[in-house]
Amino acid sequence: MSTSPNPTATAPTATAPAPTATAPERLDGATVEVIRNYVVSAAEQMRRTLVRSAFNPVIYDVLDFGISIFNADQELMAEASGITHFLGANDRAIVEGTRYIGLENMGPGDVFILNYPYWSGAHAYDAMLFAPVFVDGRDTPAAFLAVRAHWMDLGAKSPGYVLDSTDMHQEGLIFPGTRIVKGGEIVRDITELIRFNSRLPELTLGDFHAQLAALRVGERSLHQIWQKFGIENVEQAIRQVIEHGEAVARKAVAALPDGSWTATDYIDDDNITDDIIEITIRVTIEGDSITADYTGSSPAVPGPVNLPIGSTEGIVKASFKSLTTADEPSNAGHFRPLTIIAEEGSIFNAVYPSATFTQWSAIVAVELMHKALAQVIDAIPASGGGDEPGFMALGHDSRTDADYVVSNNEGIGWGATKDHDGGNAQQHASQTTVRNTPIEILEHKAALLHERLELIQDSAGAGRYRGGVGVLREVRYTEPGEVLSMKKKTKTKPWALAGGHEPEPSEMVIWPGTDRAKRVGMYRASMAAGERFVNRTAGGGGHGDPLDRDPRAVVEDVIDGYVSAESARDTYGVDIHPDGTWTETTDRTDRTTRSHSQE
Amino acid sequence: MNAPRLKVAVDIGGTFVDAISYDTVNGEISVYKVSTTPEEPARGVLGGIEGLLDSVGSDIADIESFAHGTTLGLNAILQRNGATVGIITNEGFSDLLEIARAAIPSSQMYNFSYQRPAPLVPRRHRLGVPGRLDAQGDEVTPLDEAAVVEAGRVLVEEHGLTSIAVCFLHSYADPSHERRAGELLREAFPGVAVSISSDLTREYREYERTSTVTLDAYIRPVLNDYIGSLEGKLADGGLTTPLHIMRSGGGAMSAAVAKQAPLMTVLSGPAGGVVGTTFLARELGVANMLSFDVGGTSVDSCVVVDGQPSEVHEAEIDGLPLLLPIFDIRTIGAGGGSIAWMDEGLLKVGPRSAGAVPGPVAYQNGGTEPTVTDAAFALGFLDPAAFLGGQMAVSADAARAAIAVKVAESLGLDETTAAASILRILVARTVGALREITIERGLDPREFTLLAFGGAGPLLAPMLSREMGIKTTLVPRVPAAFSAFGMLMSDLEFEFAATALKPLDDDVLDGLEDQFVELEARAVAVLDQQEVAEDARDYVRTLDVRYRGQEHSLPVEFRSGDTAADVLAAFNDLHAVRHGHAMDEPGQILSLRLKAVGVQPKPPLVRIDAVPDAGSAPVAIGTRRAFDMATDDWAEFRVFDRAGLLAGHRIPGPAIVEEGTSTTVFFGDQVLVVDDYGHLAITQTAATPTTTVPSGGAL
Repeated sequence: MSTSPNPTATAPTATAPAPTATAPERLDGATVEVIRNYVVSAAEQMRRTLVRSAFNPVIYDVLDFGISIFNADQELMAEASGITHFLGANDRAIVEGTRYIGLENMGPGDVFILNYPYWSGAHAYDAMLFAPVFVDGRDTPAAFLAVRAHWMDLGAKSPGYVLDSTDMHQEGLIFPGTRIVKGGEIVRDITELIRFNSRLPELTLGDFHAQLAALRVGERSLHQIWQKFGIENVEQAIRQVIEHGEAVARKAVAALPDGSWTATDYIDDDNITDDIIEITIRVTIEGDSITADYTGSSPAVPGPVNLPIGSTEGIVKASFKSLTTADEPSNAGHFRPLTIIAEEGSIFNAVYPSATFTQWSAIVAVELMHKALAQVIDAIPASGGGDEPGFMALGHDSRTDADYVVSNNEGIGWGATKDHDGGNAQQHASQTTVRNTPIEILEHKAALLHERLELIQDSAGAGRYRGGVGVLREVRYTEPGEVLSMKKKTKTKPWALAGGHEPEPSEMVIWPGTDRAKRVGMYRASMAAGERFVNRTAGGGGHGDPLDRDPRAVVEDVIDGYVSAESARDTYGVDIHPDGTWTETTDRTDRTTRSHSQE
Repeated sequence: MNAPRLKVAVDIGGTFVDAISYDTVNGEISVYKVSTTPEEPARGVLGGIEGLLDSVGSDIADIESFAHGTTLGLNAILQRNGATVGIITNEGFSDLLEIARAAIPSSQMYNFSYQRPAPLVPRRHRLGVPGRLDAQGDEVTPLDEAAVVEAGRVLVEEHGLTSIAVCFLHSYADPSHERRAGELLREAFPGVAVSISSDLTREYREYERTSTVTLDAYIRPVLNDYIGSLEGKLADGGLTTPLHIMRSGGGAMSAAVAKQAPLMTVLSGPAGGVVGTTFLARELGVANMLSFDVGGTSVDSCVVVDGQPSEVHEAEIDGLPLLLPIFDIRTIGAGGGSIAWMDEGLLKVGPRSAGAVPGPVAYQNGGTEPTVTDAAFALGFLDPAAFLGGQMAVSADAARAAIAVKVAESLGLDETTAAASILRILVARTVGALREITIERGLDPREFTLLAFGGAGPLLAPMLSREMGIKTTLVPRVPAAFSAFGMLMSDLEFEFAATALKPLDDDVLDGLEDQFVELEARAVAVLDQQEVAEDARDYVRTLDVRYRGQEHSLPVEFRSGDTAADVLAAFNDLHAVRHGHAMDEPGQILSLRLKAVGVQPKPPLVRIDAVPDAGSAPVAIGTRRAFDMATDDWAEFRVFDRAGLLAGHRIPGPAIVEEGTSTTVFFGDQVLVVDDYGHLAITQTAATPTTTVPSGGAL
C-alpha cells in the first residue's frame, strides 16, 4: 500500500455545478460569436498583463507560459497563445487541483498553486496558479482561471535545471493545490516558504505577482462579461462554442482516412543510464474519432524524462490541433474527438514518485502522431530537428558581483513538406512562439562571449524539398561557470519522408578543438575561464528524392551556402563549375533515362 | 500681398492624396482629394496642393507651413520593392537577420508546416568582418578596416547592390566601429546609400537593431530620391517655407533629417491621427481620449492620457521589428470591407476583406460576399443615392439580398437582425482590443472619450460607445481627412536614446548627467539645423526604469534635481497603476531618453457661429428609415447636413449627420450636441447595461 500523496488517496468531492434554475434557450450564432469574442479577449488581457509584469525572461522574453479560462464544469472556454503543451496540460491540472481542494473549500478571492507533477502535467517549476471565480447567488465557482509559467527556482537539488533526479523529492518544493491567496489577501506563510526555499526568491516571487495580476484582470473581465450578457447567457454561449469546436474538429477528423498506423521514435536516454528509450504510438481513426495509444512504449525510467499523463495529453492535443483546427483559438470541444491511452507506470503516464523534471521526452514525442499519420496524410511535413536543443549557463559574474542563470532556446530546421522546403532556424513545433535570447542580453547578464552564431551548411536533410537548416552557436566563458546542454535527441536522426534524407541530429561539443572535446546530449559541465562550447542544432528532414530537386534551387542553395558544392554534386546530382554554370551528374541523368525507359 | 496664413498638410494614402489647409485667420478647414500617382508620387502631392489652393482661392505664397506624410517607405517594405541591400556585420554573425528570434507568429502556433518569409537580404549579401566589442563596449578585436572596404566592394561591385546596412554587436554601447565602417564605405562607394544601426537606435538586442537598419537601408534610396525631387518641385513652384516630413512617432522633421533617417517616416500615416487626437485632447481639456480610426480594412486605436499619447519604442512591419519611437497604435484587422461569413453555425466577420475589387456587394462590382459596409447599407445607415456624392451606383437591395442568402438563412434570423449582428460582431472585436490597450495602462475604457475619424469611424463609434459604456463620442471636423489635420498640428520632434543598464542610485544619476549632456548636444545640433528659435525649444529627459531582473521598463520623467529615491517613487507609482502592484526591489535604469521639441505655432481652435437659442434642434434635410440599435427596431431617423449645424445645436437620436465623405449615425438612447468649435459630441441619455458594471473583483 503506497503512502504517497496519490491523487486517489484524497476523497474526490462533487464537481458538478449547481444546475441552473432556468436553462436559457439556444442562442443565435451571432450572439454566441459576440460573447466568444469577449471571452477570448479576457484571456488576451490576462496574457498581456503577465508579459508586462513578469520578472523572469523565460516568461517575458521567451514567452514560456500558458493561460486558460475554464467554465464551472472545468471545460476550456478560451486560452491565450503560449506554449502549446502547457495549454493542454492546464485542462487536466484544473480538474485535479479542484478535486484535491474540493469546491466547497474554495471562496471568492482565493488563489491556489499547483505543481505536483502528476496532477499538474508539468515539472515542478512550471507552477500553475489558479483561481475560482464566484458570482452572487452561487456557492460554487462559476469559472476558473489558470496561469502557468516557468518559475526560476523552487529549491530543487541543483541550481538552474535538474538533469539527474531519480524521484520527485529532488525536484523542488511541491504544492498540491495550496492556497496562496485567501479572500484577496496573500498568504504570507506560503510566500515566505517560497522565499526561503528558492535560490532566486526575487525573481520567483516577482513572477508570482505577475501571475496574480493576470488572474485579477481575468476575474474582472469575467465579471464584466457576466454583467453585460447575463451569466446564464454566457454559459449557454460557451456551451455552443464548445459544441461548435467539437463539430469543426469532428468534421476535420472525418475528412482523414480511416485506419490504424504506428510509429516509433527514440529518446537518447534517461540521463542516469545510456540506454536509448523507445516510444511508440498507434493512431487509429474511425469516422470522426481518433485514438492515440502509447501502449508498448518504454516503462517509466529512473531518470527525470518521465511524463505525467497531463504532459502527454498536452503534447497530443497540440499535435492533434495542428492536424485539425490549427487556425482556431482552442476550446474544450476541439479535443472531444480525441482519446488518449497511456498505461499507468509507463513513460507516458508516470506516477509518484517518478522523476519528471526534464521533459524533453515530451518535445520529442510531439511529432510522434505526425510520424504515424504521415503514412497516409501527405500534407504532413517531415520531422523538424527532433527536439528543442537549447542550453543554459550558470555562474558568477564579477562585473556585477552577482550570480546569473541564463537560458536559450535555439531554432532548428523544420521538416520539408511535399510542397516546400522546411523553414531555417525556427523554434521546435512544441514551442513555436518561444524566442531565442539575444546575444546582447546573454552577454550582459552572463560572463560569456559569443564566437559565432550561424546557420549550418549541409545540416538540412536533403530531398526534392530539403529540410530547414540548423544553427551553430560557439560560446566562450570569460569567467568560470557551468553549462547545461539541453537536448534529448542526439543519438538518432530526425525522420524524413518519401525518400528524403535524414539530417544529422543536434549535439553540443564541449571544449571543442582540445583533447578533452566531448560530444554530449543532456549534460552539465563546469567551464573554466576561456573554455568554449559549440551548440549545433539539427536541420529538418527532407521530403522526396534529392535527385528530383529543381537543379536551379540547388544552385541557389549553393550560392547562399545552405548547401555545399560537394553535396550539390554528390547528393543532388548537380555539378557546379567554377564559372558558375552547372550540369546534371550521371546520378540524375541515368536515373531520368531509367525512369523514362521504364515508362 | 497678405502675410502667409495657410497651414497646409498633404497625406499620401493608398488610393488618395488628402490635401488639407487650415486658415489661421478665420479657422476655415478645406480638404481636397486627388488620386495617387504611384509612378511619380511627387506629382500627386503637387496636384493636391494646386487643387487645394484653387479651391480656397489662394496661391502658394499664402502657405505659412507645409507638412507631408508619406507611405512610400511603408509600401516599399510591404510590397518588397525597396533597394537591393547588403549587410556588413561581425565575422561569424552574418546570419542574425535570418535566424532572427526563431519564433513563429502566434497565429501560426499550431502550423507545423510554417515557413517564415524569405529574409529581406539573402544570405549571399550578408558579410562578416573581423572586429568585436563586448557588452561594456570595450574592444575585444579591433575593426579590420581593409575587410570592411573589401566587403563593400563585393556587395557593390560584384553583386551590384545600391544600399548597405551596417550593424555590429554591442554598438549601442560604443558606436565607434560602426561609425568608422560607415565612413570607410561612404568614402569608397560614394554612390551607395549607407545606413548605420547606432545612428537609428542605441538600444540593445542585435536582431531587432539589424532589422531596423536593414529596413532603413531598404527604403533609403527610394525616400531620398522622392524627398529630393519633391523639394525641388516645391521650390520651383514658389514654396518658400521649409518642407516638413511626418515622423512615425509624431511630430515632424525637416526634409534634410528625413533623408538622413528615412525609416522615421515609415509609420507616419496613422501617426497624423494620433497627433490630431492629442491636439484636441489638450485643447478641449479631455483627460483620457481614445483615437478610433476606421478605414476599409482596419481599425486603429491609440490611448491619449493627460495630453500624452501612448508611445512604444518598438514596432513591427510585416513581422519585421523596428526599434524606433512610435505611437502605441493597436490595429484590429477588420473594417468596412471585412467579409461576414458562416462557420459551422457561427457568424464570423473578417479577417478576409472584399478590398477595393470587387468591394462590397452594394457597389455591384462583382462582390457576392456581404461586408460590414453592406450591413450599413442594409440597415439604412448609409444612403445609396448620396454615397460619395452620388458618384457611384450603389444598391442597398443587393446588400440586403446577399446578407439574406449568405448569413441570415443559416443563422435562422431575419436579414435585418443578421445585418445588425455583423456590426455587433465587429464592435465586439473592437471592444476587446480597446479593453486590452486601456487595461495595460491600468485604466478603464469607460473613462475615455472616443474620437471617431477615418471614413467609417463616425458610423461605428456611437455603436461602440453604447456597447462599452463610453460616455462621450466626439466627431471632429472633416473626420475623413483627420490624419492630415493632425499633421497641421505637429511640432518638430527628435528623440535621442542611450542604453544605460545601471542600478538606480544617486551616484549613477550623477554619472548620467554627462550622457544627457551628450544627447543634448546632438539635439541642439539638430534644432540648429532646423532653425528652431531659442524660445521655441523644449527638452524632456526620461529614464526607462525597471526592477532589477525585470525586462519591461516604464518611462519616468527625470527632472533636474531628482534623486534616485524620487525616481524610484515615481516608478513605483506608475508600476502600481500599470501592473496592479509595486515591489520592494531596487530599481535599474535601462536607458535614458531625450526628446527635443521645436514648438511650432499652432492656431487655437476657432469657434464656429452659434445658434441663438442653445439646445434647439437644427432643421433636418430629410428622414431615412434605419435600424435603431437602442430599440432593436426600425425607426425614422432624421437626417442633417453637417454644413448646416451651428454651435449649441442639439439633436436627440435617432438621427444621421451627413457630410461628403463621412456619415455619423446615432441612436434613440443618444443625443448629439454641437460644441463651440463644431465638433459633434454624442452622449448617452439612458444608461445602457454596461454603465452599471462594477469593475472590482474578489482578488
